[in-house]
Amino acid sequence: MRRPDWAPETIDIDRPSAARMYDYFLGGSHNFAVDREAAQAMIAAVPEAPLIAQANRAFLRRSVRFLVEAGVRQFLDIGSGIPTVGNVHEIAQAMAPESTVVYVDIDPVAVGHSREILDGNERALAIRADIRDPDRILDHPDVLKLIDFGQPVALMIVAVLHYVRDEDRPTDLVGRLRSALAPGSYLALSQASGEGRSPAEWDEASAVYKRTDRPLHNRGRAEITQLFDGFELVEPGIVWVPEWRPDSSHAFEDVERAIYIGGVGRLR
Amino acid sequence: MIHDPDAKPDPVAAPGQDRYGPGLAVFARAWAKAVTGTSYLPVTPAQLEEFLEGLTVRLVEALHEEPFSLRRGYQIGSDLVAAHIASAEGLGRTIEVIELRLLRDLGLSPAGPPTAASAGSPDATSGGPGSGGPGPGDDLRDRMARLLGTVAIGYARALRDRTLDEQESIRRAAMVAREQAEHALRESEARFRHQATHDPLTDLPNRALFAERLAGVFERDGRSGRRLGVCFVDLDGFKMVNDTLGHQAGDQLLVSVARNLRRGAGEHLVARMGGDEFVILVEDTTCTDDVLKVADAALAAVNEPYVVDGQELRVSASIGIVERPVAGTTPSDVMRAANITLHWAKSSGKSRWALFDPERNERELTRYALSSAMPAALERGEFCLDYQPLVSLCDGRLLGVEALVRWRHPQLGVLRPDRFIGLAEETGLIVRLGSWVLAEACRQARRWVGLSEKAPFVSVNLAVRQVRGPGLVKEVTGLLREHDLPPDRLQLEITESAMMNTADESVDNLRSLADLGVRIAIDDFGTGYSNLSYLRTLPVCELKVAGAFVEGLRAPATEPASVTDERILATLVSLAHTLDLTVTAEGVETATQADRLRAIGCDAAQGWHFGKPMPPSLVDALL
Repeated sequence: MRRPDWAPETIDIDRPSAARMYDYFLGGSHNFAVDREAAQAMIAAVPEAPLIAQANRAFLRRSVRFLVEAGVRQFLDIGSGIPTVGNVHEIAQAMAPESTVVYVDIDPVAVGHSREILDGNERALAIRADIRDPDRILDHPDVLKLIDFGQPVALMIVAVLHYVRDEDRPTDLVGRLRSALAPGSYLALSQASGEGRSPAEWDEASAVYKRTDRPLHNRGRAEITQLFDGFELVEPGIVWVPEWRPDSSHAFEDVERAIYIGGVGRLR
Repeated sequence: MIHDPDAKPDPVAAPGQDRYGPGLAVFARAWAKAVTGTSYLPVTPAQLEEFLEGLTVRLVEALHEEPFSLRRGYQIGSDLVAAHIASAEGLGRTIEVIELRLLRDLGLSPAGPPTAASAGSPDATSGGPGSGGPGPGDDLRDRMARLLGTVAIGYARALRDRTLDEQESIRRAAMVAREQAEHALRESEARFRHQATHDPLTDLPNRALFAERLAGVFERDGRSGRRLGVCFVDLDGFKMVNDTLGHQAGDQLLVSVARNLRRGAGEHLVARMGGDEFVILVEDTTCTDDVLKVADAALAAVNEPYVVDGQELRVSASIGIVERPVAGTTPSDVMRAANITLHWAKSSGKSRWALFDPERNERELTRYALSSAMPAALERGEFCLDYQPLVSLCDGRLLGVEALVRWRHPQLGVLRPDRFIGLAEETGLIVRLGSWVLAEACRQARRWVGLSEKAPFVSVNLAVRQVRGPGLVKEVTGLLREHDLPPDRLQLEITESAMMNTADESVDNLRSLADLGVRIAIDDFGTGYSNLSYLRTLPVCELKVAGAFVEGLRAPATEPASVTDERILATLVSLAHTLDLTVTAEGVETATQADRLRAIGCDAAQGWHFGKPMPPSLVDALL
């Protein structure tokens, strides 16, 4: 029998998962041999891959702190991945315990793990959904349980959109999500850019990710800037992620090679 | 499991931190720098340094503790991992920076605990690295080595546990996700199966599922005496609803009917076969009554009023019922029988059930078989004619013979006309069969004319269709000419019903035939409308009185009923004679009947008393 369209995909843990590779780069052990093997191939192509991942994770941490300080208490983290150290709810709820967080990921293992972590936390939950189907996210009963779209929301799309193809119109996807947000909401976004790296490096990295569940699609600064349409960028604008409001002088030695570009914008 | 210093800051402010002076911060910063990048640390650099300052104080305290405790080092190693400084590089660099810089940065003399004065000036204390020989400095170096050893052990243990925990946790998550995916797949398969086996409009089981369940009844073994029942339900006049209220209203009605039927049928399977056809499977019946109860309940359920599009509607249903032992039948037999029975219910007036009757079915099957075999039989010459004498009541002379068609069926033997004439009329073959009979009778009549001067006329029954047919006159004329048959040796018997409508071609046909000299007789007179008006206008020469009246003459003449029949007959004879018609009585079986008919003045008689229908060769002997 042919599997009908609406039947769910099966869990294929024999294939490297971008989410678990990311966990490996951050120093976690929430990964399997296939993930580690692919991650090591990535490190062979881009030796700073772990540092790049860590820099991106640090951007997430700094942006959440910034957003809590800016008064936001609701977080919608799309593409949250494997909840390794320094999750949004840990950062936000430590600063403002009433903060609510909804994690969204397409990877069922990541969602399963998130639920285990969040067990007992009434202000945070995880759902499985695809960023390419924003309406499903916005209408999801679990999302509506914790997020009041009449109040400002921090929409976190960190290190996700480079897994979305141009044909899936990432600008429209962000636009659809933006249309659900109240004024005073924020978008924190980063994604892999094609800048600062030689084509050969990119080819090698792309080859590694082609083997995974999520092939890479990098974008230039101009395209990434477009994703913030409708948002007013906060200082310092769209930058290499280590440059975004760094909290130490010894952040990243060569920011040009940090791959991730990102920023935070406020909805007018 | 995720421990976040942001959330629960460690009590880094160890008492007496000031004792170590600026060297403490210098060392902690160097340590922080060394471990940064070894793994992701979810804290700000300032928080990291603060945390490491606290650990540094604990390291120094551990170095000087009396007696030296292994537990201190284990704990420090474990706390490093808990703070996510949790990688092989993290441990290597930690040991390196402690070994290289701790004592130097904090101005610790290997000989003893530091003093505020000595901090940052290693030369100010005695027993420095240059003092040589065994002494307190050696003791401190020993302690440092042992402390680093315990830190490494504590760290490695914690990292190992953490790794194992994380592996366990991700595996569990994968397992749960896989189970959920499988569950979802099973659910979707179940949903798919439901869609494949249910009617989308009414959500009732569909034809496929019904067929499966019915087949299941036959596959299941059990007592050989098991029985089953099937109700084939069809709404009456559903097409009207669709045509007048529209298909949407029709669909709404079907949904409501389906719901009622399901309720009415109780635990029995109700399936929608398509359109307005439903079927109820009654498994393991004990007797026919079990199914009749279900059918009654189903009829009652369907009969409930419906509101469709704000209009109250009532519909009825007809049901064909089959109930029989499982052994000796098949699913397709059962369904065929139920379908046939449904038509019986429909044809006997709808809004009712009919129960399958094997004998009726057998008859219908035979009829059907005969009907379809007849054309070929006619081609093959399986039909033949017998002749029954018509005898004068005055002198016993043979006046004529009635040609009676027979079918010499290869399997069923000789069939009499009542078995097949009706079928031939239904299928229209009667015209061809009638022509054959007419031709054969004329041929035979001519033969007798050749044999004897007293040859009988041959009386041939014409079907209504033949009488009304445009070619009858031409046909008869042709036959008379072909066989050179005197027209008065041919009599055509028509029924009263053939005369019902005197406006059509039949009257002209009969006039033309009578003008030729052919005898026209009214068959079975007195059983139809007995319209006397055509007797005036039509060229009829004989009335054949139905055997029913003659039957009454068998009884003793004293019985009132017998007297009545005799009077009717007498009146008929008198009427006929007034109109110059002769009368032939049919069905005369006894001498008494013959005597009484003769006394009335009846002209001729036909019946067993005078001779049964016989092959033409036997007629020869009567000439």
